[in-house]
Amino acid sequence: MPRSQQRLLGLAVSVAVVAVLIVWFGWIFPTNYKSADTRLVAQAFYIGVAAMGLNILTGYNGQVSIGHGAFFGVGAYTTALLMDHEYTFLGITYGHVSFLGTLLPCAIVTFVIGALVGFPALRVKGLYLALVTLGLAVIFPDLATRFVKGTGGTSLVALTPTELAAPSWFADHFPSLSAQDQWAYTMCFALAIVGLVGVWVIARSRFGRSLIAVRDHEAAASSVGIDLARTKVLAFALSAMYAGIAGSLSVLVLFNASADKVETFQNSIEFLVALVIGGTATVIGPIIGGFAVVYIDKWTKDAFPSKPVLSPAIFGIALIVLMYVLPDGVVGGSRRLFAWSRRTLQTRRASPAAPATPATPASTR
Amino acid sequence: MNDRRNARPFRARAGGAVVCLVAVSLLAAACGGNRSTAKPADNGGGTTTPGGTTSSTIIDTSACPNGANDTTGVSGDTITIGTSLPLSGVYAAFVAIKNGEQAYFDYVNANGGVEVAGKKYKIKLKAMDDQYIASQTSTNVQNMLSANNVFALFNVVGTKNNLGIRDLINAQCVPDLFAASGATQWGNHSFPWLVGSELVPYPLEVKTFVEYLKKTKPNATIAVLKANDDFGQSYADTLNDLIKGTQLKVVKTQEYDNTGAEVKTQVQSLAATHADAFVVAAALLACPNALTAASDANWHPITYMSGTCVSKLLFDLAGKAADGVFTVTPLLDPADPGNADDPAMKLYTQQITKQFPSKTATTDPHEGIIAYGWTTAALLVKTLENAKALNRASVMESARALTDLSGVGLQLHDSKWNTNANDWFIGETYQFIKWDATAGHSVPVGPLTDEDGKTAEVTPGNLINLK
Repeated sequence: MPRSQQRLLGLAVSVAVVAVLIVWFGWIFPTNYKSADTRLVAQAFYIGVAAMGLNILTGYNGQVSIGHGAFFGVGAYTTALLMDHEYTFLGITYGHVSFLGTLLPCAIVTFVIGALVGFPALRVKGLYLALVTLGLAVIFPDLATRFVKGTGGTSLVALTPTELAAPSWFADHFPSLSAQDQWAYTMCFALAIVGLVGVWVIARSRFGRSLIAVRDHEAAASSVGIDLARTKVLAFALSAMYAGIAGSLSVLVLFNASADKVETFQNSIEFLVALVIGGTATVIGPIIGGFAVVYIDKWTKDAFPSKPVLSPAIFGIALIVLMYVLPDGVVGGSRRLFAWSRRTLQTRRASPAAPATPATPASTR
Repeated sequence: MNDRRNARPFRARAGGAVVCLVAVSLLAAACGGNRSTAKPADNGGGTTTPGGTTSSTIIDTSACPNGANDTTGVSGDTITIGTSLPLSGVYAAFVAIKNGEQAYFDYVNANGGVEVAGKKYKIKLKAMDDQYIASQTSTNVQNMLSANNVFALFNVVGTKNNLGIRDLINAQCVPDLFAASGATQWGNHSFPWLVGSELVPYPLEVKTFVEYLKKTKPNATIAVLKANDDFGQSYADTLNDLIKGTQLKVVKTQEYDNTGAEVKTQVQSLAATHADAFVVAAALLACPNALTAASDANWHPITYMSGTCVSKLLFDLAGKAADGVFTVTPLLDPADPGNADDPAMKLYTQQITKQFPSKTATTDPHEGIIAYGWTTAALLVKTLENAKALNRASVMESARALTDLSGVGLQLHDSKWNTNANDWFIGETYQFIKWDATAGHSVPVGPLTDEDGKTAEVTPGNLINLK
C-alpha cells in the first residue's frame, strides 16, 4: 500500500475511533449505566486530569512532584467553599456560586500557588524537589484544618446533593443527563477533553518543545535561548492548575472537599501512579492511567470483599507486575506492540530470513 | 529520514487508538448493569400509617424528598442497612464492630427475622470501608444513598465521619442510627435524623472521672493527651469546664495526629510534668501506646482512658502498663469470668464462636469491641420492632422514643436506656471500671452511674450545637 494511502487510512481510523469514543463516553455510557459506574468513571477522568497536570511537569519537563495532592486539595476547597458559603468582602457579598462559576477562581488560585511554589523549585532538582513538594502535601492539610472551618467538623467541607445538582439550564437541555451523578460525570468528561486538547496543544507548541528541551538538557536548552526560569515556573503553574481543576471536579463526584493528611498523600501518589501506568510524556497516557488506578483498586477490593486489608497488597502487586510488563506505561507498551506487529508483518512479507531491525524508541519522548 | 518522519503520526495515532479501544473494552467488562431511572417502589398510596394522627413532634417529613412514607431499601422481606467504618488502614481493628453486628443479624435472621408492624423481615448489612477518613465515609454514604439500596445508616464509626454526613442525611431524610461516637453534637436538635449509639457521651465520662478525682485526690494536677479532632476536643473542653471552681488543675495538654497512633513524644512531654492524673482522649492503638509510653517514662499517674478504648485487645497490648487504668463502659465485660454464666453473655459467646470458628484478635468473643457491635445491632433490632410502621420516619421516631430499654445485647444489668423529645442520648447509664491486667478483665468501681437526661447539663457552652 502506498504511503499516502496508508496515512489517509490511519487518519480515517483515528477520526472514527475518536468519534466512537466521544459518543460512547459522552452519551451512551452515562445514559445507560448505573450511578455507581458513572461515578467510578468520573473519578477516573478527574484523576486523569490531575495526572495530565503532573505529566506537564514531570513527563514533559522532568520535575518530579509528590505534592500534587495539595494543589488538588486547594482546588477542591476553593470550589467547595465558594459553593457552600457566603462572604462579604469590601462591601460586596458573594458566595453560593454555581459549580461552573467556581472553575475560573479555582484555576487562578491554583495557577498562582503553583507559580509561587515553582520559584523555589528553580533551585532544587530531582529528589530534593520531590522533598520540597512533599512538604507541600504536609503543609496543606494543616493549614486547611487550622484556617478553614467547614460544615463537616475539622477537615471536611461537605456539600449536599441539592447544592451539587445539575443547573436548570443543563437539565432543561439534556433531560436524560440531569441526575446528579450524570451531571458530575458530564463535567468530568468535558473537562477531561478540554484538558486533553490543552496538553495536545502544549505538547506540539514552542512552549512544549522548550519543556522537553529543558528536561533533556538544561544547559543546551538555555544556550539556544530558552528562558529556563520562565519555562519551569510556567510548567509548575499550569500543572498546579490542572490538579486544581481536578480537585474541583472531585467535589462533584465525592460531595466534599477533604484536607485529610492520609488522603492528600494518597492522592499525590495516585496521580504519579496514574501517570506512570499510562505513560509519561504522552497525551493520552494520564487518562488511561486514571482508569487503571480506579479500576485496579475496584477489582482488588471486589476480589476479596471479606478481607479489605488484602486489597492494598494486591494493588501493590498489580502495580509491580504492570511496571514489569509495561515499563513505559500502557501507551508506550501498546506502541511497542504495534511497532512489533508491523515489523513482523513487514519482514514476513519481504523475506522470512531478513534480520530483525532494532526497536525504534518511543516517538514523542 | 523523510520516510520515518512521515510514518510517525500514523503510528502514534493508531497506537493511541488501540489503547483507547482497550480502555473501552475494559470499561465495558467492568460495568455490568443497565441504568434504571425508576424510583424505589412506593408501598401503597402514602397514607398507610395506622392509627391516623401520629404525633410527629420530632421528625418533620414535610421537606423530605421521598415524603413521609419512605421505604427505600426495603425490598420484599429484606431490610438493607448500610454502614461505613474502617476495615483497612491504621484503624482496621474496628472490623470487630462489624463482626459483632453481623453475628447478631445472622442470629436474628436465622430465628425468622425482625418483626416490624406485624411482618417479619430479614436484615442485610452492607458494610463499606472508609479507613476512618471522613471524606471516604461521605463518599461511601453518597454511593449507598444514590444507589437507593439502603434503608438506614447504622453505627457509622467516628465523630468527624458522622459530622461529615450529617447535612446530607438530614437533607435526604435518611436515619443515621447509632453513630459510633459519644460526641455531644448528637444532641443538636437541628439534626433530627442522627442519633448516637449506646457509647457513653464523652462529657459524662469526663464528669465521672472528675468526680472520682475530687473524692480521692482533690488537688490533683492533670495532664491531657488528645486526638487532634472533634473527638479529642470534646474531652478537653469538658474537662476544662468541669474543673472550674475545684482544686483540680490541668497542667499540660498535648495533641497527637489522629491519622497515626504515634504518641510517644507527646506522652514524654506530659510525663515531664509529673502530673497526678492522666486523661487519654485517644482512639484505638493510640490508647495502649499512650499507656506504654507513660510507663516507659516511669510516670504512673491515676490514668483515665476514653471509653472507646474498652477492648481486651488494646488493654492486652499495653500489658502491665494498663493495670489500674480507669474508664467507663455501658456494657458487660465479655472477658470477665464472673459474667460467663449470664444468659445474654452465653448467647453472645455461643453465636460469636459459631460465626468465627477461628479465634483472632477481632473475632475473639472476649473482645469488647465485638460486644459493642453485637449490642448496637440488638439496639437496632429493638428500635425496628418498636417502630409503628416500616418507613424511615417511623423508625427514626422509634429511635427517639426508647423507653426503659433493658437487656439489649450485653447491656449492663439494671441499666435503662431512654430517649425522648428532649434527651437524645442513649448511653447515660454506665459503669466506672478499672482494668486488672493480671486477671485480664475489668473490675467495676462503685455502683452503676445513672446520668439519664443529664448530658446536656454537663456539656459546656456550645459544644452540643457546634458545627
